[in-house]
Formats: sequence, structure tokens, C-alpha cells
Amino acid sequence: MTAPILLRTKDIAAGYGGGDIISNISVDVEEGKIFTVIGPNGSGKSTFIKVLAGLLRARVGGITIKEEQIAPLAAPERVAKGIAYVPQEYNVFANLTIDENLRLSTEFLKRDRRATGEQRERVLGMFPEIATRLKLRAGYLSGGQRQMLAFACAMMAAPVVLLLDEPSAGLSPKFVTEIFDRIKAVNETGLTVVMIEQNVKEALRIADTVLVLVGGATRLFVPASEIGSTHDLHKLFLG
Amino acid sequence: MAAQYILNGFVSGMILALPAVALTLVYGILKFPNFASGAMLTAGAYLALIFNVYFGMSLLWAAIVGSVIFAFIAVGIDQAVFRQLRDRTSITLLVCSMGVSFVLENIARFIFGNGARSYDLAIARPKHFLGLRINNEQIITAVTVIAAMIVVYLILRHTALGRAMRAVADNPSLAAARGIRRESIVRWTWGITGCLTAVAGVLAGMDRAIDPLLGWNYIVSTFAAAILGGLGNPVGAVIGALVVGVVEETSTLFMPPNYRQIVSFAAIALLLILRPQGLFGVARIKK
Repeated sequence: MTAPILLRTKDIAAGYGGGDIISNISVDVEEGKIFTVIGPNGSGKSTFIKVLAGLLRARVGGITIKEEQIAPLAAPERVAKGIAYVPQEYNVFANLTIDENLRLSTEFLKRDRRATGEQRERVLGMFPEIATRLKLRAGYLSGGQRQMLAFACAMMAAPVVLLLDEPSAGLSPKFVTEIFDRIKAVNETGLTVVMIEQNVKEALRIADTVLVLVGGATRLFVPASEIGSTHDLHKLFLG
Repeated sequence: MAAQYILNGFVSGMILALPAVALTLVYGILKFPNFASGAMLTAGAYLALIFNVYFGMSLLWAAIVGSVIFAFIAVGIDQAVFRQLRDRTSITLLVCSMGVSFVLENIARFIFGNGARSYDLAIARPKHFLGLRINNEQIITAVTVIAAMIVVYLILRHTALGRAMRAVADNPSLAAARGIRRESIVRWTWGITGCLTAVAGVLAGMDRAIDPLLGWNYIVSTFAAAILGGLGNPVGAVIGALVVGVVEETSTLFMPPNYRQIVSFAAIALLLILRPQGLFGVARIKK
């Protein structure tokens, strides 16, 4: 039985300057699932997730969340609609403390999306490594700890979908498995995750659905279980 | 005698601290050095003059009303001028701020002429404490600046607005992804900037005659203070201002007073060569 569609893109195209980097991307993301976008360097993965987050506007096409059109909305308005975005780099306010980072994650949202004390405790319970160092400046955390803080900030607003831009980028191999285990644990609370990732092996381990992007276009959009068994990734990536 | 110079320098530095913090706030959020700081200080001094001399208000109330009105004027200047060039380079915005500076200065000249004016303020005898001569204006300056700095510190460190201002300065695109509206933060920044520079204008107008070039007496020292503290670092700017004030004042023990801005120029030149991030710049985490 398939889950209801939470996020849908319809023929979106976007880019910087004159040309399009991605075009004609249409996908359905099911509620409560992990949707992963993979592809070679320069395939438009980051552009795609920035379009979903509202940091880059789609030139054409539509984006709906729970059937509500959000394509015209700017990033802060999409946050208010329940979209949480964790960038690949610079994903915490390095010169602010952990506590300030957590507060800022919902302080400027509408009252019904602001974190309650209970929500804050629940999130800190999921990320104990930051819970005991609230007065420390985020810039002093290691790469993996920063990533945990970034997740925690994203979770504070009790979002309906979590967008992750290469969560394992720049992390030591020891942390990579841990990060993906955390993403799975977060997803198991019922949160839908959209993730782009270079580490295909680890990403496929936890993903439910996979979009393969090549040259800014959809090469394949299938359940994760089908990748490997019926499709050759090398051929897909290299054409 | 040296202690008297140091005291005078501290008070001069306190006047510098307000525009230096304003300069550093704008630099932190909008990433350009606002050359119009001096002219904004002048405009603030004249606004208070209007309420003090022409409407008969006490200088305290004239300063309060003038600085609140100038906060709105500063937001208006941003909306009319800087907003149109928001994503341009810092050099473009710097040149634009020079234009704003000349416009403000010449509006003051057009309305009030080139003649020197002063506030309607009762003359008070200076006080003597531990052999130091402390005049009334110095006490008012110290109390006002300390109060203003406490308010700014509390806003920056303990309010949602302050956290958002620091967040936008730290990482504007992440701030947008957290639901913080940059334009709203920019307007607040200009409001606070307008208020601080206008108050500095009143304090400067108490210290010397008010004329359309009043701000030029402070602009180099303000930049020196902000650079010394590390541009974008408000606490550094306050310390930088106090250092510049004391060093400028004590330098008059060795050189004619009208050359004291050489010290500020020298401080800027030395810092840009030896430590371009400023004395406190290293404390900020870049990544």
C-alpha cells in the first residue's frame, strides 16, 4: 500500500543566469519516506534541493506540499509551511552559541510553529552530544557535531519535510554511518526526508525512493530496492 | 596632567563609540562601510538643534525626539537609496554612501547656512575630583554613551531581534532558511544606526560648534575605531573607539592638537598592513 503524496514537483526548471541547470523534473515524495537524489557532479542535485527550499525560484513548473502550491513562496514562507532545510556547508550560525542556534530555528516562525519546551526537550534528547554544551559557540563544534546541530535546528519547528543537502559531505568515515543512522532514526519518527547525496552506498541503505539526476534531467525515478538489482548505476551516471 | 588627557580621551572615545558601533552594525549586516556616518551624525545634531532652539525643548527631550525621528529618516534613506543596490558590491555601496553623505551635508547647509550654531544649554561649572577637571558635558556624554551601549548590548545579546541581526551578519542564506526576513532586519539595523549616530551628533554638538562639516571631525576616527575593533564586531568597535579617543587626546602632549587625526590615519594604515582583520577580528569564526 502506498503512502499519501506529501511533496510533488511538476515539470520544474531552474538555473542561474541565462540557462537552466535542471529541467522537466517531476517527482512525487510519499509521506514518511526517505527520498534520495543521486547523480554525478554537476548533475543539478544542489540546484534541485535549493528550488525545493525556496532559495532559488523555479522558472517554470509547480511545487506542492499537501496539494498546496508553494512555488511562488520565498524561503522564509516555505519554512512556515513546514519545510526545513539543512544546507551542505555553513549550516549553523558559527558565531552564535548552540542555544542561540536552536532558539533562532523557530523564533521567527508563526506562533503555531514555534518550538515548545516539550519539543525542545524531545529534540535535545535525540542529539545528546549538543544538549550538554548549549553555551558553546557552534563554530567550535566538529563537522559531525555541526551536522547534528543543524539537524536539531531543523527538527525544532516540527517540520513536515526535512531537506538535506549532502549530509555526509566533509565528514570522516566514522561519522558517515552514524549520520545516516540518525537520519533513519529521525525518519522513523514519521518525518519525511528529501536528501541529496554523493555517498550512494550509504544513501541507498536508508532510502525508500531514488531519483537519479544526470545533466539536469531525470534519468531514473524508482524505489531504492530496484537500484542495483535491475539498474547499473555506472551506466546510469555515465550514460 | 596626563591623567586629565586620558580622561578627556575616554570621553572623546565615548562619542566615537556610538557611530563606530553604528558603522560596524551596518557593515556586519550589509557588508559595506557606510561613509555617510559622519553626515548622519551632523544631521542628527541639527535635528536636535531644531527641537532645542526653535521649539524650546530641553536638550534631553530634543535629543530623544531628534534621534527617534532620525531613526525613521535612516530607514527612509535605506529604502530610497541602498535597497535599490542591495546586491551590488561593497565598493558600489561605499560610493553610494558618499553620495548620501554629500546630500545630507548640503541639505544642512541649505537650511542652516555655513555658520556655527550651538545648543541652548545652561553653562555649568566644572567639577573637580582627585585633581581632575570634569565638566558637565563630559558627565552627560559618559552617562548617555554607557546607557546606549548597555541598551545595544542587551538588544544584540538577549533579544530575538539581536540574535536575528547576528544571524543575518553570520550567514544570510541560512537565516532566510530559518524564516528570518532579511529586509526586516535591515530596516531595524538602519533604525538603530540612525538613532546611535543622531545621539552621537548631539553629544558632538555639545562638545563643539554645530556646522555642516561637524561629522567630518569624526569620520576618520570612527573608521579607525571600527577597523581597530574588527569591522562587524560591535564590542570591538567600543574598545577601538576608547583606544582611539585616548591615543588621539594624549598625542596632543607631543604634537599640535590640529594634527591629532594623524594618529587615526596611522592606526588605520598600520592595522591594514599588519592585522587587516582588526585587533578583535580573529575572534570571529569564518566557517
